[in-house]
Amino acid sequence: MRVRRSTETRTGRAIDLSDWNVSADVVGDAVRGDDSDGLAIACPPPGPVHEHVGVIRPRIEFSRRAALAAAARSRGRTAPQDGELARIRERLDALDPAPVGLADARRRVADAEGSEAAVRERVATLQGRVQALRETDGDPSDAEAELADATRRLADLETERIAAEQTLARARERARETRDARRERLRLRDRADNLRRRAREHLADALGPAFERVRGAVPGETPPSVTAALAVARLADLTAPIVIDAEAAGFEAPSAAATWLDAPVIYV
Amino acid sequence: MLLVVTYSKAARQTLRNVCNGHDEAVVQRLGRAALLEPTRLGAFLALRLRAKHAGDVQIERTDPFNEFRDAPEAVRRAAAAYEDRAHPSTPYRAFAAGTDHPDPSAMAGTEL
Repeated sequence: MRVRRSTETRTGRAIDLSDWNVSADVVGDAVRGDDSDGLAIACPPPGPVHEHVGVIRPRIEFSRRAALAAAARSRGRTAPQDGELARIRERLDALDPAPVGLADARRRVADAEGSEAAVRERVATLQGRVQALRETDGDPSDAEAELADATRRLADLETERIAAEQTLARARERARETRDARRERLRLRDRADNLRRRAREHLADALGPAFERVRGAVPGETPPSVTAALAVARLADLTAPIVIDAEAAGFEAPSAAATWLDAPVIYV
Repeated sequence: MLLVVTYSKAARQTLRNVCNGHDEAVVQRLGRAALLEPTRLGAFLALRLRAKHAGDVQIERTDPFNEFRDAPEAVRRAAAAYEDRAHPSTPYRAFAAGTDHPDPSAMAGTEL
């Protein structure tokens, strides 16, 4: 592992940066490859265990069960749920529901209905006027021409509305198919979540007794959450460095921590 | 009423949040679906969900069902007779065979 800041470089399996005045979180970012504060760290990429105990601060908070499960995975342990989970992932990858786009078709129907209703009303008005003119011996010819116009227009609009309704009906049919796929996707995701939880419980249980033993052997006086984090880190098979705030842990030196954890260590 | 059905985890969660925050607009909660009041607030909430989750939200408007207007008498009679059958294990198809009661596939192919 190699740590570099401007022109200064430090290498080794246990590196002490306590004289650089950098925070544990900044160094943790740099371990993940985020070039932070001009700090660059060349090391193997951190794994899932690092998300839980990659940076050990005096008041570290993490989910012990999830961290233990990740530690078990790092040692190659598997869970009985793994096979079904892999099959579900394959099925999820194969599901690609088409987008649902019914808004245009709905708008066309609503607009067509609106226009048709307006013209229908106009036809009724004109019919009334024609009849009134005939009854009072007036000249209905202009009104009759207008009525004929409006009636033709109404027929056109009816045709448009029916076409819009048919288009919407077909679009709804297609939407039904894509919703079947979406419902299946949701069902599979729920199932996968459930399996992942059960796998995590299984793996955490599997490492439980070892965790209790190692926790009792953590050197020095440390707060309970730090003790637990160090125990998880020791149980895990790690290639990327663990960042330890010197105030948190009770090791004599970074090299002692690296030996005990059997992992690269950066002290800050 | 407005029936809102969700098809993703995120949409389902938003529906839960909306229902929790707007009791006055919720008629019934049904897991990943809900019946909302046919009010402007109900429409607003349903449309908010669709604006956020697009195709993962389905909105339908429900109509009250009046069997005396919407379903033919043969269907009403068949339902009542079947629920009054002598042997609970008889499937409907067998129950209807040789009687005047409508066949299930014929019913499935006929719209109300």
